[in-house]
Amino acid sequence: MNAAGVIAAFVRRDFLAEKSYRLSFALGALATLANLAVFYFIGKLFGGGLAPQLEPFGTGYFAYVFTAMAFFGYIGTGAGSYAGRLRLEQTQGTLEATLSTPLGVPALLLSMSAWNFLFATFELLVYALAGAFIFKLDLGAANWWSAGLVFLLSAGCFAALGILSSCFVMLFKRGNPLAWILNNFEGLLGGVYFPVAVLPGWLIAVSNLLPVTYAVRAFQLAVHKGAGPAMIKGDLLALAAFDLLLIPASVWLFGRAVRRARRAGTLGEY
Amino acid sequence: MRLEVKGLVKEFPAPLFSGGTPLRALDGADLEADTGVTGVGGANGSGKTTLFKTLAGVLEKDAGTILAGGAAASAERLRQLAAYCPANPRSFYFRLTAGENLRFFGALAGLSPAEAEARAAKLAPRLGLAAVDLGRRFDRLSEGTMQKVSLIRALSRRAPLLLLDEPFRGLDGIACRGLLELIAEAGKTSTVLVTSHSRELLAAAAARTLRIGQGRMPPGGPQ
Repeated sequence: MNAAGVIAAFVRRDFLAEKSYRLSFALGALATLANLAVFYFIGKLFGGGLAPQLEPFGTGYFAYVFTAMAFFGYIGTGAGSYAGRLRLEQTQGTLEATLSTPLGVPALLLSMSAWNFLFATFELLVYALAGAFIFKLDLGAANWWSAGLVFLLSAGCFAALGILSSCFVMLFKRGNPLAWILNNFEGLLGGVYFPVAVLPGWLIAVSNLLPVTYAVRAFQLAVHKGAGPAMIKGDLLALAAFDLLLIPASVWLFGRAVRRARRAGTLGEY
Repeated sequence: MRLEVKGLVKEFPAPLFSGGTPLRALDGADLEADTGVTGVGGANGSGKTTLFKTLAGVLEKDAGTILAGGAAASAERLRQLAAYCPANPRSFYFRLTAGENLRFFGALAGLSPAEAEARAAKLAPRLGLAAVDLGRRFDRLSEGTMQKVSLIRALSRRAPLLLLDEPFRGLDGIACRGLLELIAEAGKTSTVLVTSHSRELLAAAAARTLRIGQGRMPPGGPQ
């Protein structure tokens, strides 16, 4: 089977479906800007003074949260979209039809969220343009090679978390503890809205268990301090370790979950 | 392609903590079919759909053997070999047109967009489906038209094993006649299994009809 053809078919299908809800399509892009404006005015309220917890990153609050949100918005797509897409297929009644075809699990996983990643890329572009032209952010010091490496390692890791989360959807339909953790604690404990140094010691220990902590910190340092791979070696190694563990485990477990649903006859249930 | 099924068992477990008991939908079913059309009759709940879904590789069997072309066929291989038209025609993306749906499912079956479109355009008039309906959003189609689109999805794969579960449901007379011709044509090159609650249509579609009851099919020839 031609994997590129399958991915293209999924992207086209999802684009056409999204486009058919015209207002939602336009509001999605506007919501991104509205979100940013909230943090811009919070940043203005507290002035340009550098909080001690922001010193390692060498930037003010708004630039910090702007970068983290843009980055997390993209890599978070992997974490959230697999379970969401799968649930949509279940409720639409198309999951069984899709899995009645010769489509294999790896091709399904590559294709299922391709549209979400494309849309997230568009949102990232909106962030970049808004940062440059509306909020006048100075990212001149950024080490983009280093940032790209963090991006790549983080995207794989978060996609794996998303695939793991979708296993719960495949088996239990509703009630997804991993999605609950990802939705409620990644932003809070991972340093997206503020540096983790603000947290009490025991919560910092918990945040060290989450890949998002390493991903956001490394990305901030690469973008605001121009940190090269050697400077953020620890974070890169942690992300690589998460990748090595989570990517094969998630693909294998998803395959097992599909097989179990085929055995139990629950592919068509929602 | 010769299809041989022996002692096929499929049991659906009761939902966790439901206190229910498992449902044994197939209880040692046997079936032999060669290239050509074979009808499968049976009452509601007799196991026809479970049999078809298992032969299509949508479900995994619990016991028994399935040989396709003389070789053991796993669920994965069956999904390569079989095209399955479910009894319910609503398993499509409602916000997409019928044509876009066929193009999407064609891609999953290895067809290029041009092939999928060409095959749909060829099959549609045979079932009395107007070209304008292929360009209409799926949720705006009547139930019978949805069924025609579902049939085109299965027929356009030109698979060696074609499984049509209640294919006449909701079709008008012209479409029924067209479908009978298409089934006969498919039977020249593929192993076709068809179910229907209409004895007349089943007899018109298949020279040989087997019956399934309580998940069992007696082995061998015509019933």
